[in-house]
Amino acid sequence: MIEVEALTKRYGSTTAVDGLTFTAPPGTVTGFLGPNGAGKSTTMRVVVGLERPTSGTATIHGRRYADLPAPLHAVGVMLDARSVHPGRTAYKHLLAMAQTHGISKARVREVIAQTGLEPAAHRRAGTFSLGMGQRLGIAGALLGDPATLILDEPVNGLDPDGVLWVRRLVRDLAAEGRTVLLSSHLMHELALCADRVVIIGRGRLLADAPVKEIVERSERAGTVRVRTPDPEPLTRELVASGAQVTPQEGGVLHVRGASVDDVGTAARRCGATVLELGTESGSLEEAYLQLTGDAVEYRAADARGGAR
Amino acid sequence: MSAATATPHGARATTARPGPAFGRVVAAEGTKLLSLRSPWWAAAVTVVVAGVITYLSAEASSVDPGFEPLDSLSTGLALAHLGPLVLGVLVGAGEFRTGASRTTFTLVPRRWPVLAAQVLVTAAFALGTAVLATAASVLGILPSAASRGITVDLTSDDTPGLVLGMVLFLVALALFGLALGALLRRTVPALVTGLLVVVILPVVLTTAGDPLVSGADPASTGLAGPPTTVLGTLAVLSPGGAAQLMTTSASAGPMSGTPDLGPVGGGLVFAAWVLVVLVAAAVRLRARDVR
Repeated sequence: MIEVEALTKRYGSTTAVDGLTFTAPPGTVTGFLGPNGAGKSTTMRVVVGLERPTSGTATIHGRRYADLPAPLHAVGVMLDARSVHPGRTAYKHLLAMAQTHGISKARVREVIAQTGLEPAAHRRAGTFSLGMGQRLGIAGALLGDPATLILDEPVNGLDPDGVLWVRRLVRDLAAEGRTVLLSSHLMHELALCADRVVIIGRGRLLADAPVKEIVERSERAGTVRVRTPDPEPLTRELVASGAQVTPQEGGVLHVRGASVDDVGTAARRCGATVLELGTESGSLEEAYLQLTGDAVEYRAADARGGAR
Repeated sequence: MSAATATPHGARATTARPGPAFGRVVAAEGTKLLSLRSPWWAAAVTVVVAGVITYLSAEASSVDPGFEPLDSLSTGLALAHLGPLVLGVLVGAGEFRTGASRTTFTLVPRRWPVLAAQVLVTAAFALGTAVLATAASVLGILPSAASRGITVDLTSDDTPGLVLGMVLFLVALALFGLALGALLRRTVPALVTGLLVVVILPVVLTTAGDPLVSGADPASTGLAGPPTTVLGTLAVLSPGGAAQLMTTSASAGPMSGTPDLGPVGGGLVFAAWVLVVLVAAAVRLRARDVR
């Protein structure tokens, strides 16, 4: 269980995190979503005690991270693939981590096998690809068999195999009753593996809801694509229910203001045959961009002003 | 998926499992130091430079009529002591430079045990290096001594003290480098600062503080021994000046214009410097964010 309450972190005049409150409950994967620079990593660094909050609190199982008696057993942390000395081999890096908590070499070899690092275990971390670095980071997070995992952009740089592996891993970890907080700047990534999503922009909370709800919200806001040999009756039916319909080529209609369910039901009502029905891909991403868009633009304007 | 399955892991987090006790942090820091290449390089260069420079210096002096091989014993350290300084800086700043500090301090959130463990581990590694470098220095004077038919007796007079001083000098420099690296968190600024206060500052102060340079009447410096000057005093109190005294014989007497602290006094002054910078590093470690 991770609880962040009214957390604010300022660096000089820059506010990285601004009154953020959210909870990551056990047994779920909580997605932590926001554009680059939204304050995700800063929040995670505050949660694990690397940075001190300007105000507010962050606790794990009701305790400040610094007060945990055995942090590696309580929380598995992967903040950045570059949290390793490039001159040290993967095995020695994990061994040194394990030694701080008296964890055996056998367990080190176990997580190396679990993360598919065996072929690279005795190579220096500086020679690793981004994907291998991510696997090493995840291996370190799993080392203490912790009840809580905090993973910052774990799928970044992973090959498709690795992405699938991480999705399954975090689902399994949550199914075992663990708390998983997983950040990403990709909405569709979280839609595939998270139960809840906490969305932030410019350090502020934008949304905190079950993935399903956000998906539905974005589908309602997005465009539904339907292909039918009977465009006229379906268009009439949909317009009557308040949707906007734009005819496309080949009997395709783009419908806004109605969900996939709405369109399917409307087609049955008017007897139109449906050959194809779905959301236009990217609508989920669009919903996310709508939420975070203002935040990103503001930041870009800041950057232009700052560049002088 | 549901919170109902949360019990085993939620409950287990509260049961006591072993945390980062100090002995474990020391073991981890030992693994970290020994698993890098740079400390081994620093150690090898220190030993080789100590032996070679001492040999060359003794060879050069051996043509003097009053050649005393033991006078050349610590000459190699004038250059070789930079090895432990670099070693210390690499250990102290390396964590922060590479981002490994994020891992280290999430494992040991109290942080200062890491610094204390680094002090122990670095001191131990530097001690091994220092013993070898001092042995190399002894080997370095043997050929010149043999060529003049002089036997080298390490047990005579202040020689045991000198040998001990040389070893401690190298260990203390490694700790000074460690403290600077941990305080400044970046390799190059820490190295530059180290070179400034250890090598350059004492030379500048000693030169400027020499009574002859600062315009004293040479005649007045006669019988009562050379007077001390303010700059000369500062020179021996500077980290480098104090440290260098550790490699002199107790009977050698002070440099012109400087008070006579002797090797023990110099060692104590330098130890105080190491402690001051270490405490500053510890304060920064506790107070400041790790990025």
